[in-house]
Amino acid sequence: MLALQHISKTFSTPQGDIHVLNQVDLTLQQGSSVALMGESGSGKSTLLHLAAGLDTPDQGSVTINGQTLSGLNETARSALRRQQLGLIFQQFHLVPSLNVADNLRLQARLAGRENPEWSRHLLERLGLAGRESNYPEQLSGGQQQRLAIGRALAVRPALLLADEPTGNLDEQTADIVLNLLLALVKETQCALLMVTHSARVAAPLDRTYRLHLGQLQEMSA
Amino acid sequence: MIGRVLITLLSHYKRHPAQLLMLLVGLWVASALWSSVQAINATAKESYARANALFSAETDQLDRRDGNPLTIDDYLTLRRAGLPVSPLLEASFTHNGTRFTVLGIDPFTLPSSGAGGETLNDFITPPWQTQLAPDTLPAFGLSREEATGATPTVGGQTLPPLTLRNDLPPDTLIMDIAAASNLFGEQATLSLVTAPAALDQPPDGYRITRAANLASPEQLTDSFHLNLTALALLSLVVGLFIVQAALGLAMEQRLATLRTLRALGVPATTLTLAILMELLVFGVLGASLGLISGLWLAGKLLPDVASTISSLYRTDVQQSLSLPWHYWLGSVAITLGGLLLAGSGTLWRAARLNVLALGQSFAWRSGYQRQLTRMLKAGGLAALLTLGLALWLSRLPAGSGLVVSFSLVAALLLTCALCLPPLLYGVLHTLQKVFRRFALMQWAVADMQLQLPRLSLAMVALLIALATNLGVSSMVGGFRLTFLEWLDQRLSAPLYINAVPSTLAPLNEWLLTQESVLETLPTARGSTDLLATPSSTNTELTSQGTVTLFGVSASPLLTANWPLLDTHGDAASAWQALGGDSVFINEQMAIARALIPGDIVTLDTRQGADNFKVAAIYPDYGNPQQQILLTVEALTQRFDGELASIGVALNENADERQFRQTLMNEFNLSSEALVNQQEVKQIATQIFERTFSITRALNGLTLGVAALALLATLLAQAHQRQRQLAALWALGVPRATLVKLPLIQLGGLALLTALIALPLGIAITWLLVAVINVAAFGWRLPLQLFPLDIVTMLLTAIGVALLAAALPCVQLWRTSPRALLNEGDT
Repeated sequence: MLALQHISKTFSTPQGDIHVLNQVDLTLQQGSSVALMGESGSGKSTLLHLAAGLDTPDQGSVTINGQTLSGLNETARSALRRQQLGLIFQQFHLVPSLNVADNLRLQARLAGRENPEWSRHLLERLGLAGRESNYPEQLSGGQQQRLAIGRALAVRPALLLADEPTGNLDEQTADIVLNLLLALVKETQCALLMVTHSARVAAPLDRTYRLHLGQLQEMSA
Repeated sequence: MIGRVLITLLSHYKRHPAQLLMLLVGLWVASALWSSVQAINATAKESYARANALFSAETDQLDRRDGNPLTIDDYLTLRRAGLPVSPLLEASFTHNGTRFTVLGIDPFTLPSSGAGGETLNDFITPPWQTQLAPDTLPAFGLSREEATGATPTVGGQTLPPLTLRNDLPPDTLIMDIAAASNLFGEQATLSLVTAPAALDQPPDGYRITRAANLASPEQLTDSFHLNLTALALLSLVVGLFIVQAALGLAMEQRLATLRTLRALGVPATTLTLAILMELLVFGVLGASLGLISGLWLAGKLLPDVASTISSLYRTDVQQSLSLPWHYWLGSVAITLGGLLLAGSGTLWRAARLNVLALGQSFAWRSGYQRQLTRMLKAGGLAALLTLGLALWLSRLPAGSGLVVSFSLVAALLLTCALCLPPLLYGVLHTLQKVFRRFALMQWAVADMQLQLPRLSLAMVALLIALATNLGVSSMVGGFRLTFLEWLDQRLSAPLYINAVPSTLAPLNEWLLTQESVLETLPTARGSTDLLATPSSTNTELTSQGTVTLFGVSASPLLTANWPLLDTHGDAASAWQALGGDSVFINEQMAIARALIPGDIVTLDTRQGADNFKVAAIYPDYGNPQQQILLTVEALTQRFDGELASIGVALNENADERQFRQTLMNEFNLSSEALVNQQEVKQIATQIFERTFSITRALNGLTLGVAALALLATLLAQAHQRQRQLAALWALGVPRATLVKLPLIQLGGLALLTALIALPLGIAITWLLVAVINVAAFGWRLPLQLFPLDIVTMLLTAIGVALLAAALPCVQLWRTSPRALLNEGDT
């Protein structure tokens, strides 16, 4: 599903070059889930961005469903993201002027793959049924993140990339959101790569990796 | 403590320099255009004050009743009769591009000439003196030090030695009447003046115009300066919109900081004072920048304004700025006042800050909807005010209420400005539903709704600028067409002959015997007293004022080109009636005397009081006087008046050059006496274009300010916008599409605003031509709209929006993907 091979990434700063990723390899199979942990500034989000085709590596290749991203132009990468990836952000990134129903369907509509039945099902599963005409500001933080999860899954992605999806939530709400996310991942059989600071959040996932000094180390369960 | 709070507040602008730039640009443009126009007005007022102080402005003036020019014989006759009149010889010449007025005076008889004292002997004896103001010297290429005693040469003639007098108006030379006569001879015209109220009754054969009835330059030019002030005020308001947008944005982003400061123990008064100090610092900085550039702009515009005022009102305005102390104070005070008004909302919010709301997120939708409801309510109140003013204006006598008219325009603009954001929100809300099935379009519309709180002020500025632009350009365009039509009406013959009346009568007879002449169109001029109108309350026939008389020959060549506004019966029968006891009156007279076709007016004729029926009302653009039109025969036989000119239409095969030569030889005419219609039209059109050059310049600048408002708003929120676009990019929309989206969004919103500005612009045009023009000048212009102007306005709106959106789009394109989606972690 996702294969990162010999990925390196360096950022130039006034203080000198920072080698964020150094010859990183990572593979994800369909239906599997991986947690990516590490200190702040260790390169977790960078790795996630590279996996989503939002950024390009200095060295190495990213392959999604057999398609190598380096061989695709910006338009094709966007199309791949639209059709096969789902992204969940710590800050939710909902459109405040669209209601719940329209926010949920946004990516599916952009991809031309809207499925009203699936959307309704997602709303039920996310506990947002009856709130379709509400706007994001009328939802709690947990509800907003559930809506962001729904938006990412509405397109039935092959790969779900989540950047600190519970980072902005309290412990109890985070547990509810995480359980829901994992249940839906299982239901849709998509692969999940999740960046998190929390070992508790990482625990239910199939594998956990730690990113340290540009290298990935698998952590034992 | 307040210093520390101020530094903390100012640190916001270190991180958001675009907001600081937006604030200063707003203050700068608001202050620059306002200061510029006020500098022009102050300089002109100073010139008018000096002109008013001139002796000729404070004396009663005598004229011949028959309309003939005064001669030295008139002066001798009146002096021999023991009347205290003084001769004044007036001439003008152009030197180095400056038009000078020369006044030759007799200091012995002129009341308060200012030429007496020790210098009297030098003034009245050869080589005489030329008195002038110091600011006139640059036109002669002289400095103040080398001026006294200098004898500049003008057109081959040497002026008497110069003497400086500070109280004289610019470009005016005063000399003894003998010196003026020697220099200018027959080119000079003679006036006879007398001390105010020195004569109770005018002498037989003469008419007296009291000093009190002579319009001062200030009165004449009042509406011109009011027009400039109105445009400058508009720029000030548009500039302050930018300021308010910048302050609102900064306040919104600093709410958390303000709450933290309050939570840390800073009292509300200290916080408010710190914000007030911050405003004052920016205000002084912006006002200073504005003042400097305003003075530069005024210096550039002043020569055009001076030449406009000179050609329109025959009043001289100095071409270098002369500013009193209160100008400087006033300019800074207006900018600071405007800033405090624009920042009052910020101060109010700071004073009422809720500390417990610490960390509360901004409820965008409900907060903005409450704001829109308030705007709609205020818009309703402004609409009521507009209606009230319109009602008040409709009850005022025609031709009055200039200030009420301008207030009506301001109230109308305010109504539309307040209603625009709710209207745009409503349209976007509907469009969002329409585009439900088109995800990207739906997002674009939803995103516009999101941007509206910040963009709406810039859109209001654009609406005002576009509507005013359309209003003013339609008014100028309409005026131009009407003016050309009026020229055709007054110059229907291809050739005109101007000569003294005694020459014109035999000349007309001679012309009628010439084979090459197709037709002659003689005109005559005169004046008479209006004795009664239907609205007169006085039962006795006494003079109700002087009206001018204009005699024409009602031939088809003239009547075909002469438009009539209103007639008693049809136009043909009105022209037919003109030969008998019917007259036409100009629009100015119809409005001032409340006359309509069919009314009877009583005029003082040679045979005594006589009644005339008003057969028609005709437009008479630009004429400040009330005028009655009748046939040449009726005028010369029944009133005091003489032939003024003869228009000549030649046969198709006639040789015009040869005809002119024959005419000049036969009647000993100079070439200046024969005027070609085309040349006159060309000169008149040039003067017209120059007259409106400042209006056009200010109009364009206002639109530029609106574009700046839009650009500044977009730049200030560019950072926030990137996060919204980044989310969309992450969902799979290509960056090329993301870059195009703001262009389509902004272009669409600007087009929507322009479509709303269209009816507003037409309403402003109507108010300008049908209400303000009547109040200011006494005549109405027809409402004319130009499709090209409308298309230009729509394209300008889109162009301005695209231009403003282009820079943030380039920024977006150049932003690295990582920075675009940066959430604070790597």
